[in-house]
Amino acid sequence: MSTDRTPSARTAEQILSEEYLIARSKILDLAATLDRLDRANGSVEALTQMKLLEQGMAILQDNQPDKAKRVQLLLSRPYDPDWRKTYGLH
Amino acid sequence: MDYIDPHIHMVSRTTDDYETLARMGCVAMSEPAFWAGFDRGSVESFRDYFRQLTQFEPKRAAQFGIQHYTWLCINAKEAENVSLSREVIAMIPEFLAASNVLGIGEIGLNKNTKNESTIFLEHLDLAVKYDQQILIHTPHLEDKYQGTRMILDMLMQNSRVDRSRVLVDHVEEHTIQTVLDNGFWAGMTLYPVTKCTPQRAADMIERFGSERLMANSAGDWGPSKPTAIPDLIMELKRRGHSRALIRKIVYENPRQFFSQSKNFRNDQIPV
Repeated sequence: MSTDRTPSARTAEQILSEEYLIARSKILDLAATLDRLDRANGSVEALTQMKLLEQGMAILQDNQPDKAKRVQLLLSRPYDPDWRKTYGLH
Repeated sequence: MDYIDPHIHMVSRTTDDYETLARMGCVAMSEPAFWAGFDRGSVESFRDYFRQLTQFEPKRAAQFGIQHYTWLCINAKEAENVSLSREVIAMIPEFLAASNVLGIGEIGLNKNTKNESTIFLEHLDLAVKYDQQILIHTPHLEDKYQGTRMILDMLMQNSRVDRSRVLVDHVEEHTIQTVLDNGFWAGMTLYPVTKCTPQRAADMIERFGSERLMANSAGDWGPSKPTAIPDLIMELKRRGHSRALIRKIVYENPRQFFSQSKNFRNDQIPV
């Protein structure tokens, strides 16, 4: 499951056993937030924040590593290497 | 376990907090200058703030056997006011001889604007001119990646900046590697809301190793926990990491980094 270059001191089974309840709590919080949105008046489907959350949840579901880093980048403004030119700074 | 908190804003904390930190093993700390929660109106406000950082806080910390160090600057948020920033930068040398000043910080970016960048560059010139170490603030949330890259770009363009004397703080999963790969020190800020949990910090230690990496609590006036470093120690112990690895992150690394400043009293820190 993991492609980490530096192995954890714990096995995958140990990590799941120790952190299952924490992850369970967090996924329930997320599920409850989505339920709250469903029950509320109005619509958020077209809003950027909702689209970002959906893309983030898709990252959690895929089979690729570095999920935390990829979610961080998803939620980040892009970097322009020519930013100095834009600002007129040398 | 003895530890050093390299980034904690004690002006926002009570004297009881100093006592709690001492009881939990904190032997030294460094406090970068930062935003007060409101924009200050004049350079005199900063002069008073720097007096607090260089005169009052060291005495408060010493009551509990903690060494208090500081870093001086005008923070990125107030750097949007260029004229005030230049007045503050011109005044900072008055305080550089104070016995607890380690360098210039926390300078950086907030919303990654032109004015913030201009003042960041002028702070770099100040640090180089006075041979000071540098402590960097990187932006939060969606601005962090862009801002960190801009900051590294400015640091690396200045050939007079010694990367081994620069600490880039508030690194997270998407910024830590580029900071370390380019030869800078990196700080992980343990914070309940906008930064990094002890669990994620432990993950980064497992991913990137312990070289040039440290952790801090920020401990400011917002939702924050001044005892966050002991939380990280507990998390690393829980995962089965060695005492030597933990000590390197929370004690040896800050000590090694601070030792590059002439004002750091290395021989007076408990070993």
